[in-house]
Amino acid sequence: MAIVSLRNSASSLVLFSRRLFSPELKAQCFYHIKVVDHYENPRNVGTLDKNSKNVGTGLVGAPACGDVMKLQIQVDENGKIVDAKFKTFGCGSAIASSSLATEWVKGKSVDEALKIRNIDIAKELCLPPVKLHCSMLAEDAIKAALSDYRIKQQVKK
Amino acid sequence: MLSYNSLRIVCPFRALLHPNWLMTNRQTVNTTVTCSAHFVSTSFPKKDTWQRKCNLKSTGNESKLIYSTYTASSTRNYCTGKFKLNCWNCKQPLYETPAFFCMACKAVQPPEEGTSFFNIMDCDYKFSLDTQKLQKRYLHLQRSLHPDNFSQKSVKEQEYSESYSALVNKAYQTLLKPLSRGLYMLELKGMRIEEGTDSGADPEFLIELMEINEALDEAKTPEEASKIGQHTKGKLAVLTEEIDAALLKGQLQSAKALLAQMKYFANIEEKVKEKLSEFM
Repeated sequence: MAIVSLRNSASSLVLFSRRLFSPELKAQCFYHIKVVDHYENPRNVGTLDKNSKNVGTGLVGAPACGDVMKLQIQVDENGKIVDAKFKTFGCGSAIASSSLATEWVKGKSVDEALKIRNIDIAKELCLPPVKLHCSMLAEDAIKAALSDYRIKQQVKK
Repeated sequence: MLSYNSLRIVCPFRALLHPNWLMTNRQTVNTTVTCSAHFVSTSFPKKDTWQRKCNLKSTGNESKLIYSTYTASSTRNYCTGKFKLNCWNCKQPLYETPAFFCMACKAVQPPEEGTSFFNIMDCDYKFSLDTQKLQKRYLHLQRSLHPDNFSQKSVKEQEYSESYSALVNKAYQTLLKPLSRGLYMLELKGMRIEEGTDSGADPEFLIELMEINEALDEAKTPEEASKIGQHTKGKLAVLTEEIDAALLKGQLQSAKALLAQMKYFANIEEKVKEKLSEFM
């Protein structure tokens, strides 16, 4: 009796695990819903005064796909990013990556913002491998903006 | 350092008349007289040239001893002789490269790997190519290669015509536009534009791009959009000339940078078209 029940549970376990490990039936060949959301409802599109000492501007381009991305941050006297704006001309994934980047840097300190990595952006937006370079572009834009701010601060001193 | 490579190959009688075929004619199918050729090759790595003595005996009706010696130069210890292909249907040699059809039996041939698009479209290997000639050649090729012409032929021929026709399409599309043509020429030299940010990009150039893109985005009339389109066309024409000059001189790095610039402007040109279609 015990052996029969053991066999049954073993077979059901195999069935269960087979269902768990069965491969994705539908291939992901369209933009993820999160990317579409950022594209249709972009957050923080706009411009900040680039001549202001508290504003850092990052302007980056990706030559392989011809995308251009501008990301600006406004930092207060405590070193905290209070506002961020972006303008991106490129594919939906690039727009979504920069839009998400501006959302994430808001409220962070300059040092914390440096820790944002492209793989985090790509993971959040579920970017396919072919679009990973868009998240890389967003990370570079953040770093360029922070670097520009730092240079301005040093010049001020 | 001497190394002896002893090889035994079976080749048809015809091969005896063409020493080059001995080592490289792998595709030939043995149908008539067979003979075994046994030869010893000695290689001298220092000199980078080696001589092979071929001792051949045919076991057909006539027994002949044919000796042939020839020199082949290579940087490594293997033969780099010319690879001559044969028709899959009648086994006759294909004399032209690329060979679309066999001269003898007129059967369509499979595309040869590694043939450049320039060879296929019979165009000179240069950036400023004649697009009229390219178009004529494309139509001429497709007239004979298109799969519709092979609907009554064997499956193999249909497959070959399909793959060749698709390749001709790809070659035409790549060579037609200056940007794709330039990128392909770089690719042939082993260079490609990497994905990711261009850290060496001129900030002034990026600012200019941003301004053009913003102006296009905010354009309220078709005239405004057209003006931007004209400006972009002008930039593209200048870049085309500069890329041509760079490629002629073999300055691949500067050609690569110029092609990257062209990519940005090509994108703007696309956006202008979209914007103008929105106005309609």
